[in-house]
Amino acid sequence: MGLTGTLSISEDTVALDEGKEACFDDEGFLTDPELWHETLAEGMAKADGLPGLSDRHWRVIRFLRHYYLTVGKSPLNTELTRGTGLTLMEIEALFPRGIKYGARRLAGLPNPKGC
Amino acid sequence: MVLVVWRGCRIRKAVNQVSAAPRTVYLDNAATTFPKPSSVFREMIETYSFLGVSPGRGGYDLAIQAEELVNQVRGQISTFLGGDGPERVIFSYNATDALNTLIFGLVEPGCHVVSSRLEHNSVLRPLNYLRQQGVISMDLVPFNSRGFIEPRDVAAAITPTTALVILNHASNVLGTIQPADIVGEICRNRGIPLVVDVSQSAGTIPINMLAWHADAIAFTGHKSLLGPTGIGGMVLRRGLEVRPSRFGGTGVDSRDLTHVHEYPRRLEPGTVNLLGIVGLAAGMRAICRTGAGKIHAQEMSLVTRLRDGLASMDQVMLYCAESLDNHLPLLTCNIEGMCSEDLAAILDGDFHIAARAGLHCAPLVHEDLGTSPDGGVRFSLGPFNSSQDVDMVLEAFWKIIHRR
Repeated sequence: MGLTGTLSISEDTVALDEGKEACFDDEGFLTDPELWHETLAEGMAKADGLPGLSDRHWRVIRFLRHYYLTVGKSPLNTELTRGTGLTLMEIEALFPRGIKYGARRLAGLPNPKGC
Repeated sequence: MVLVVWRGCRIRKAVNQVSAAPRTVYLDNAATTFPKPSSVFREMIETYSFLGVSPGRGGYDLAIQAEELVNQVRGQISTFLGGDGPERVIFSYNATDALNTLIFGLVEPGCHVVSSRLEHNSVLRPLNYLRQQGVISMDLVPFNSRGFIEPRDVAAAITPTTALVILNHASNVLGTIQPADIVGEICRNRGIPLVVDVSQSAGTIPINMLAWHADAIAFTGHKSLLGPTGIGGMVLRRGLEVRPSRFGGTGVDSRDLTHVHEYPRRLEPGTVNLLGIVGLAAGMRAICRTGAGKIHAQEMSLVTRLRDGLASMDQVMLYCAESLDNHLPLLTCNIEGMCSEDLAAILDGDFHIAARAGLHCAPLVHEDLGTSPDGGVRFSLGPFNSSQDVDMVLEAFWKIIHRR
């Protein structure tokens, strides 16, 4: 499945292949993490002002997704640093919108409900 | 690894599961104090080991002794919080449970309630539910730029149908201690019951319910009272009638299908949390041994050091912390341009500092501060924090601010 349309940050849906549609909540998080795709992440990154996703970006995104799909939740802060080999300060600086709205959102993880 | 040996039982207590793991600087004491004094655990284990029966259920000696112990703790709480005697101390799971019992037991259909925009969701959500159901109307008084409500706003909000004024004594976001005594005077003169939520202040600030003219207070055991989670309660003034919203076994008058009318059993259906009550009593004793005033002074000294350090950094925004008079040892802040959850995650993951990000279950405070929906990062100090802990936060902030 891939991204067929152009993506802007204000949109709440994006058309995908096979007639599917990815929906975002009011903070731009995918409502269905299963519909995540690398092309979609790249489109979201461009909308965030990132010209492209580097290996370091992908290392963070892939770790987040792998952990979420394997364990069923987001990693602990210490697990994220161990799993990526990056500090959280480095991850925060890597994504223009930080960890929650940047890395986590681009990885297609659900919007955390904690308050 | 610490090994606790007691009466032949070996209880392996992993203080740090991984011995090489750095100690976490815990600065979320407004959520729950951590750690607890060792005497709290010791008393809980020892007492429950020989008296862990159902208090007041049955005529055997142990059940009677357990009930006597529970009643002794009621007396201890009444004295500690300036209440109206042990039988007006009612145990609950926590402050939210007590506040729900009080709100649902005091309002009548068509009545009006006055509260504030400083409240925690433990008050806002029950009130909002009742308003949505068409049971009550309500007004929430604002707080000023320093984080305090104005008693005159409470007086102005009272209408002929006002049946309840319910306020928190100290904001869990700003740390500001509200003028409960002045509001109490207003309510007494208008003949309106005042309920004060002392969740954040009990144990660190002197509470004197009767002197405040409060009709009820709701407390939790696991914050500054240094007890375990799962125990809280309310203290009622004599003459206050609270309708029960839950019914059940009380250990007395079992033949009667009508729930007992007398306090405290009226509002205490089911078996009480004996283990929690023992821990709460031990927590209060620990406070008394050191002195609440001494603990508070030490915590305020630390929070002042923290405030001064954070205020010296241009990128840090502090909320209602210019003066720390009438204040709890907690601060809420943000770093300009940074999501509060990211800041808290970095503090935790990179610096081993535990602080609470977000809205702190008090959404209207953040709405009025302009920090909604992301909220802020709250640091709340406790009796086991040190100046080194504060310096670690300041060093972390400096590194975070200069990270790029």
